[in-house]
Amino acid sequence: MKSSALFAQFQSRLSAAGGVAHWAEDLAQAAEIIATHPALAEQRLIVPPAFAACQPWGALLPLLSARGIRLEEAMTPEHVADAPAGLSCASLAIAETGSVFLADNALAARIVGMLTLTHFVLVSAGQLVPLLDEAATLLQTLTRPGPQQQHYISLVTGPSRTADIERTLTIGVQGPRALCVIVVATPASDPSLFSSEEAKDRDNEQ
Amino acid sequence: MSNKEHAQANEAQTLISRPGIAGPIPAVHDMPPFAERLQRGLEDENMHRALERFAPSWRQSRQALFEATAAEYGSDYSFVALRQRLRAAKDEAIAHQQELVARFKEQATAAGAVVYEARSAEDANRYIYELCRRKGITLVVKSKTMVSEEIELNHYLEERGIKAVETDLGEWVAQLDHERPSHMVMPIIHKTRQQVGEVLSRATGREISRENVAEQVAVIRREHRQAFLTAGMGISGANALIAESGTVMLNTNEGNGRMVTSLPPVHVVLAGYDKLLPTFADAMTQIRLLARSATGQPMTSYTTFITGPDRPGKEVHIVLLDNGRSAMRADPRFKEALRCIRCAACANICPPYQQVGGHAFGYIYSGAIGLVVTPFHHGLEAAAGPQSLCVSCNACETVCPVEIPLPSLILDVRSRVVASEGLPWLKRLIFGVLARPRLFDLFTRLAALGQWPATRGTPYVRYRYLRLFEGLPGLRPLARLTRWRSLPAFARRPLRDRIGARANLAAARQEGRRPDEMTVCYFAGCMTDRLYPEMGEAVIQILERCGLRVVFPRAQHCCGLPALNSGDRQHGLAMARQTVRMLERALDESGADYIVCASTSCVVTLIQDYLRLFEDLQLQSWLNRTRALAGRIMDFTSFLLRVLVAQQRLPALRRLRPGETAPVVTYHDSCQSCNCLGLRTEARQVIRDVLGLELREMRDSDVCCGFGGSTSIEHPEIAERLLERKLRHAEETGATLLVSDNPGCLMHLRGGVDANGRPLRVLHLAQLVAEYLA
Ligand code: SF4
Ligand code: SF4
Repeated sequence: MKSSALFAQFQSRLSAAGGVAHWAEDLAQAAEIIATHPALAEQRLIVPPAFAACQPWGALLPLLSARGIRLEEAMTPEHVADAPAGLSCASLAIAETGSVFLADNALAARIVGMLTLTHFVLVSAGQLVPLLDEAATLLQTLTRPGPQQQHYISLVTGPSRTADIERTLTIGVQGPRALCVIVVATPASDPSLFSSEEAKDRDNEQ
Repeated sequence: MSNKEHAQANEAQTLISRPGIAGPIPAVHDMPPFAERLQRGLEDENMHRALERFAPSWRQSRQALFEATAAEYGSDYSFVALRQRLRAAKDEAIAHQQELVARFKEQATAAGAVVYEARSAEDANRYIYELCRRKGITLVVKSKTMVSEEIELNHYLEERGIKAVETDLGEWVAQLDHERPSHMVMPIIHKTRQQVGEVLSRATGREISRENVAEQVAVIRREHRQAFLTAGMGISGANALIAESGTVMLNTNEGNGRMVTSLPPVHVVLAGYDKLLPTFADAMTQIRLLARSATGQPMTSYTTFITGPDRPGKEVHIVLLDNGRSAMRADPRFKEALRCIRCAACANICPPYQQVGGHAFGYIYSGAIGLVVTPFHHGLEAAAGPQSLCVSCNACETVCPVEIPLPSLILDVRSRVVASEGLPWLKRLIFGVLARPRLFDLFTRLAALGQWPATRGTPYVRYRYLRLFEGLPGLRPLARLTRWRSLPAFARRPLRDRIGARANLAAARQEGRRPDEMTVCYFAGCMTDRLYPEMGEAVIQILERCGLRVVFPRAQHCCGLPALNSGDRQHGLAMARQTVRMLERALDESGADYIVCASTSCVVTLIQDYLRLFEDLQLQSWLNRTRALAGRIMDFTSFLLRVLVAQQRLPALRRLRPGETAPVVTYHDSCQSCNCLGLRTEARQVIRDVLGLELREMRDSDVCCGFGGSTSIEHPEIAERLLERKLRHAEETGATLLVSDNPGCLMHLRGGVDANGRPLRVLHLAQLVAEYLA
């Protein structure tokens, strides 16, 4: 597997930042990882953003439902706040730093990574890259003026944390307390993520 | 002085107080005077313990991270390479600011943002307030921004009835306690968990744990949720403004930054012009440096890139602040400070900062960079007290991720403070004497005769002798200074009286040279000459035992370091010229190959500080002369290793005498040796490989011993603490010998050992080597 070394690197960097990375061969395995995650042990609820329904990740949702997970589409901040888990999909995973690259114009898509307790992020193995420099290139493309322009992009590296009080590291401040990234080897057909156009459309619908 | 030189000196005088630094600027509200801040800082034991604890672990993780990245990705990703890249990008941004601003504005505006250029703090505050007023906003949530502290935005808004809530944990606690952050990255490093618990309990009216940090952290999540959901405006800073796309980059850890910038319908970005960066690629370089430099973590949890509003109805306003930055940019020296990325590495590593904290070591901005930028944002007066705390150890410059020459900029600030406020009378008197070689000679000889009551014939001015005279006017401060550190006695016979025929420079040339003979001109430095002639004799002995001819120009005198270090450029300049002239003549007359000096402080003055001084004062011919000299000057340690040992000139070492045990040595890196000259392995090689002695490393061997020239007189409490730490670390090794290669440190260390009766011998490296020559 060509990306296994890269994945190992990504995994170790992310875990140094307090997050966890899993490898899944396909969506079914990804669904299994999520469904058996301790974050969902009590309250079996996930709030995916609207566009999680799009290809290729949309196919994951029925797999989660089949495993007894309730799905509520993320709507407003109030609604998402402190929900047990949120779900996002990333455009890149960067091995150098253990970061995932999230391009979410839609507020609803973003708040799931801001206000829920555990943040699941899916990324396809083809999107796993060695260096931050790839993020620079993609940032350049995505911020180019025009209807496709992405206005709000984040590199997320681990759960939210603070060491403000006596340098004691505490995980989970304003943002999620856990970050779980699942790198999927073959996410169904086309590994390219949701199309920016669709995201923009939904944006405008809001 | 020739007429030309007179003219140059006059020009120098006017240039000392170059315009550009702001005049009196109204003090920020509620800022206690420096003396009070300093006193509080010194008394706050919790704080300096926390800072002292943090420093070594931060240094270690920072270094490990940079080394790991370089090992994995190659030298292009080393600290040195990264910082060169970021420095170049920042310099480009500073040089082409206008174009970059135009590009940034164009792109950000096209993406739907509003860009406002604010000249002053008042401009920026008013703009934000007007925005609130127009939109009827009464609650604002903020994520950490130093610029908002700089312009006192919270105060401005609150005076006008708008509530501004800090949502960064540390900033919030500071806000609740009506305090300012004491550190740019760790705002409440000065508070204990007990104090935090108290503040939170008071603010929420509930009992919050004084011990459980997790519980305290949970409070902020609960307390702020409502504010996030109802605030009409979010205010953030920016870590970079990326010109190519009009993007604002923000680095945060807690997650509040993303909420502040996402949830409220209006987002205001408050950032200085210095945050401009040309491209995303540059931003990646900054990311690679920022978190590692700041906290020794690889990357912040969240790095956010905002390019205009993300949804219909949302507004993004970007306030670009000048507030003294153009004055900085117009100054050929201080414009370098605009490269700062506010990582606070220069605070983390700073020894005096660790003792007094950021409220004293800075104004609004703290740490080394705080001393440099304060004159521009808050006036020269605001920097006058804090700048006096810098001991010129140069540690900050070694870690700064954009290579700002902080220590020399601090000295520039110091000389401006001196130019505007004048020197204290005592310093004026001392430097006045120091700058006149004959008067100084007379003075030290008289002092050597008259010092008996204070020394009783010992090599030290000791507290136990001085105590008797404490009642006499003027002697009390001196007595107090010796309580924790004995001062050295003046030598009855200075080195210059012991050199015999070596003073005859021409003889070296006239007598002809064997083909392999090398002539060395020895520059001793005034401390060695007048206080420690035995160190100088050791140097001469070694050089001659290696078969070198040594000449000692009798016209040599103080290099001017004490004056330059105190911001007294007038006397410093005179001594610099005198020294350059003297060395030129000595080389000329003796035909010497090298100038060797066993005081790394003097070496740094000769080969670095003079250049900067002459460059600064635009004394071109002096600059050229100094450059020509600098290539011939070598510090004794390097000379020993790179010339004497490398050319196998060093004679055999003697065997241990019967009953003699080899000493165990510990080494103190003088700041000038390691931070300015980059000597980190040389002396160790001499001790270990050349002499074959056991060397036991002490903790923090390269942290300043606290001498810091006149700082140890101005702020004895700090000097005493740093000395105490240093000697403790030395003792912990179990070594019997403490060695260094800089007489300034040796004076300080010896004095401390003597005053406290510690079981350590303190030697110059040359003395150690001389002891083992056969
Ligand atoms: S030179 Fe040393 S004392 Fe001065 S600011 Fe830098 S680190 Fe601090
Ligand atoms: S001056 Fe250098 S070390 Fe200090 S905060 Fe700025 S970038 Fe960091």
